[in-house]
Amino acid sequence: MGRFVLRRLGTMLLTIFVVLFINFALIHLAPGDPIRILSGLDNPSEEMIQNLRERYGLDKPWTIQFLTYLKQLAHGDLGRSIINDQPVGPQIFEKLTATLVLTLTATIAAFVLGTVLGTFSAFHYRSKLDAILSFFAYLFYSMPSFWLGLMLMLVFASWLKILPTSGMVSLREQQQGLGYVLDVVRHLILPSTTLALVYAPVYYRITRASVIQTLDEDFVTTFLATGLSKSQILRKYVLRNAILPTVTMLGLHLGYVVTGAALVEIVFAWPGMGRMMLDAVFRRDYPLLTGIYLMISVSVAIAIFITDIIYSVLDPRIRYS
Amino acid sequence: MTKRIVAVILLLALIFSVAGCGGNKSTSPAGEKTGQSETSSPQKGGTFILAYPGDPISFNPDAKIDDFGYSIEQSLYNKLVTLDADYKVIPDLAKSWKVSDDGLTYTFELNRGVKWHDGKPFTSADVKWTLEAIIANKGVAYTNLKVIDKVETPDDFTVVVKLKEPSSPFISFLAWYGTFIMPKHIYEGTDWLTNPANEKPIGTGPFKFVEWKKGDHVTLEANKDYFRGSPYLDKIIYRMIPDSNTAVQALLNGEVDMSITRPPLSQLESLKKAGVKVDTFPAPSRYYLMFNLRRDPLKKLEVRQAIAMAINRKEFVEKALHGLGSEGWGFYTPAIDWAFDKTAKAPPFDTKKAEELLDQAGYKKGADGIRLKLTLPYFTAGQDWTDMAQVIKANLAAIGIDVQLQGLEIAAWSQKVGQNHDFDLALLNGFQGPDPDNMRNRFGKDGSIQFMGYNNPEVDKALDEGAKATDLQKRAEAYHKIQQILARDLPIVPLGEVVSLYVYSNKVHGLSIHPEAKGKITIYDFSKVWLSK
Repeated sequence: MGRFVLRRLGTMLLTIFVVLFINFALIHLAPGDPIRILSGLDNPSEEMIQNLRERYGLDKPWTIQFLTYLKQLAHGDLGRSIINDQPVGPQIFEKLTATLVLTLTATIAAFVLGTVLGTFSAFHYRSKLDAILSFFAYLFYSMPSFWLGLMLMLVFASWLKILPTSGMVSLREQQQGLGYVLDVVRHLILPSTTLALVYAPVYYRITRASVIQTLDEDFVTTFLATGLSKSQILRKYVLRNAILPTVTMLGLHLGYVVTGAALVEIVFAWPGMGRMMLDAVFRRDYPLLTGIYLMISVSVAIAIFITDIIYSVLDPRIRYS
Repeated sequence: MTKRIVAVILLLALIFSVAGCGGNKSTSPAGEKTGQSETSSPQKGGTFILAYPGDPISFNPDAKIDDFGYSIEQSLYNKLVTLDADYKVIPDLAKSWKVSDDGLTYTFELNRGVKWHDGKPFTSADVKWTLEAIIANKGVAYTNLKVIDKVETPDDFTVVVKLKEPSSPFISFLAWYGTFIMPKHIYEGTDWLTNPANEKPIGTGPFKFVEWKKGDHVTLEANKDYFRGSPYLDKIIYRMIPDSNTAVQALLNGEVDMSITRPPLSQLESLKKAGVKVDTFPAPSRYYLMFNLRRDPLKKLEVRQAIAMAINRKEFVEKALHGLGSEGWGFYTPAIDWAFDKTAKAPPFDTKKAEELLDQAGYKKGADGIRLKLTLPYFTAGQDWTDMAQVIKANLAAIGIDVQLQGLEIAAWSQKVGQNHDFDLALLNGFQGPDPDNMRNRFGKDGSIQFMGYNNPEVDKALDEGAKATDLQKRAEAYHKIQQILARDLPIVPLGEVVSLYVYSNKVHGLSIHPEAKGKITIYDFSKVWLSK
C-alpha cells in the first residue's frame, strides 16, 4: 500500500504540473490583452498601457513568463493580480468559505436526493413512478441553472415573499452570532436548491442503473429464493455493491466544489469562486487565473486519490500493489 | 399514490409557468406613490442600499481605469472641479478659478476647512502631489494632463497650474476622469498601486469608507465633517448584483433602493407600473456604426452612403433600445450643445436610392439577391448590443447586403477590431464629452479608438485649432467644420443617442437631476440624497 501511495503522489504532482502548463499556455495564447481591456474603449492612453505592460512583465514571451511564475511558485509566492495588485493567495482563500458553503451543501443534497430516488426507482423498475421520476431527472438535467434559479427566485422571493431575493446575508438589518448563521441559511436555500436540482439527476441515473444491474445478479436471486426479505437484501447486500459508481462520482464532484458555480452565483449575487474566476477570465487576469487553476487541479487530484482509497475499502476485490 | 404525486407535479408545473410570464404581483416598494420632493423636506438618517454591477478594482481613483470604482469614488473623493448632470464644469475642491489671457496659467482658489477622513487638513500640497503623481506614474488621466508644465502652491489654499501650451479642453478634462485628489500624506513615497489605502481609502468626500467584502458589498458612512455639510444619509451600501434580472427583483422586493446595475430595457415598463421611478437624462454618448476604410467595398463613398441610407433609425430605437434613446443623425453629441452642429446630418432613410447607389458602384444583385457579404463583429456586453446588430443586419438585408454577425466577448472583440482591424462593420458607443476635443480619440489620425483607418488632415487641423482657441465661438466653428467633414466623408454612420438612467424606489430623493441638487453635484454624488419613510 505504501508504495502505491508514493507512486500515486508522483503521478499527482506530474499531472498538476502538466495541467498548470497547459492552462498557462491557453490563457496567454487566447486573444485579448489584459492591459488593453483594462484601459477600456473610452479614452485609452498608450503611455499608461505601455507602462503597465512592462510592470507586469507582459511584454515578455509567455514561455519566459511561465518560468518566472515557476520560480515564484517555488518560493510559495502566487504573485499579485494584474488587475487589483493584491496578492493572489489571500484573494482565493477569502472566497473559499462562501463557495464551500454553497457547493458542499448542494453536492451533498444532490447526492442524497439522487441516490435515494435512484434506488427507489430501480426497485420499482418500469413502473409509472419510475417513468415520472426519470422524466423529471431528465428535465432538471437539461434545465439551464440560471433559468431555474431565476424561476425559483420569482416564485419564492418575489411572489410568495418567503425567502430573500439574493446575496449571502441581509444588509438592512445586520445580524450577529446565531442570527447571522440563520440569516446565511435563509439566503442559502434558493441557490443551493437550484444547484442540487441540476446536480441530482446525474446521481439519480447512475444509482438507478447500478442498482438495476446489481438486482439482476445471481446472488440476489439466490437470496430471494432463500426467503430473505427484500429490504434486508437491499440494505445488506445490494446497496453496498451498487453504491460504488455513485461514490466515484461523488468523489470527483467533491474535488470540484472549490470551483464554485458561476451561473448560480451570478443570479443569486452569491460572492463565490465561480464569479471571481469568470471575471478573471474576461479580464485576462493571468496570475489570479493561474492561481485558481492550480488550486482546482490540486483539489481534484487529492479528491481522486482519496476516492480511490475509499473505493478499495468498500470493495475488497480491489487491491493496489 | 401515483395520482397524488402527479397532481403535485402538475401544480408545480403550473406555478412555474405562471411565475415566468405576466407582470409582478408584488406591491410597490413604498406603498403609496408620493409625488416628487417639491413639498416634503429632507429627513435625516437611513441606509441607502444600491444594486451595483461589480466590484471596483481598488479604491485608488487615478491609477487604473475602473468603471465600477468610479461611481463609488464619487462618494469618497472630490476633484478640483467636477461635472454636473448636464456635463458642465462646476466647482468642487476649488471654489473658483481664473485663466490667464494667454491660456497658459490657471489659478485655483481652494475651499478652506476641508479635512481628510483621517482628520488631517486638506491643502494645496495634496493637489500638487496628485497632479504630479498622475503624470509621473502614467495614470489614467495622463494623456489629458501631460500638457501641464508645472504646479505651484504659493499658499495652502491656492494652486497655480502652468501649461506648456494653451489648451481649452484642459478644465473639462480636469473635471472628467481619473483626476480625484488623493492624500499626499498617505501616498507619498509609496508605490501607489500597492499602497494599503487602495483597500481602505481616505478621501475628502461626503462619505467615509467602512468595509469592503469583495464580491458582496461596499459600505460607506456619512462624513459629518464634509465641507459642504453633512449628508442626510447615515450609510450607503453598494450591493454587488451583477445580473440585471436579479437587480430588478431586488428592487421590486424592497431589498435595494436603487439599481445602478442597468435593468433589461424590456422591463422598464413593468418597473414603472410597480411604482419604481425610471428617470432618463441625456448622456453625451452615442451608438454608431464604423466602416473599415481599409477594405475594398467600404473604400467607395457610394457604398458607405448606400449603407447609411438603409438604416431605419426608428426601428433601431424601438427594437434595439426599447424606446430608451433617440435617433442619431448628427456627428457629435447634442448633449454638448455649444459644439453640436445640427446641420451636419447623415443621409436620409431611402432604400431605393441606396440600391441605385450600389448598382452604380458595380455591386449588382446576384441570383440569390445578394450584392455583398460583410462581417459585423459586436461585443456581447448586453442584450441591447445583440439587438442592435440584428436590426442592422435586417436593414442591410433589405438592400441585398448579407451581414455576418459575430458576437464576441470584449477582450476578443478588442483584439479583432481594435488591434487586428479584422472587420468590415463594427458597432461602438462611448462618452464623447465633456469637451469636443474628445473627437480626437474617435476621428483623429492617431485616435486611440479610431478603428476605421480614417485619415483626413483637415480634421486633424481643425482639432488642433479647436484645442488652441480660447474663444468659445472660434472653438465651436472648428468643431462644426469637423462635423461637416464627417458628414461628407462618412467614416461612420450615427445610429442613436444614448440616454442615462436612474432606476430607484420612490423613497429616494435628492439625486443629481432632482431640483434640490441640480447643478451642485455630480452624477453619483449622494451627499444630497435622503430617504422618506
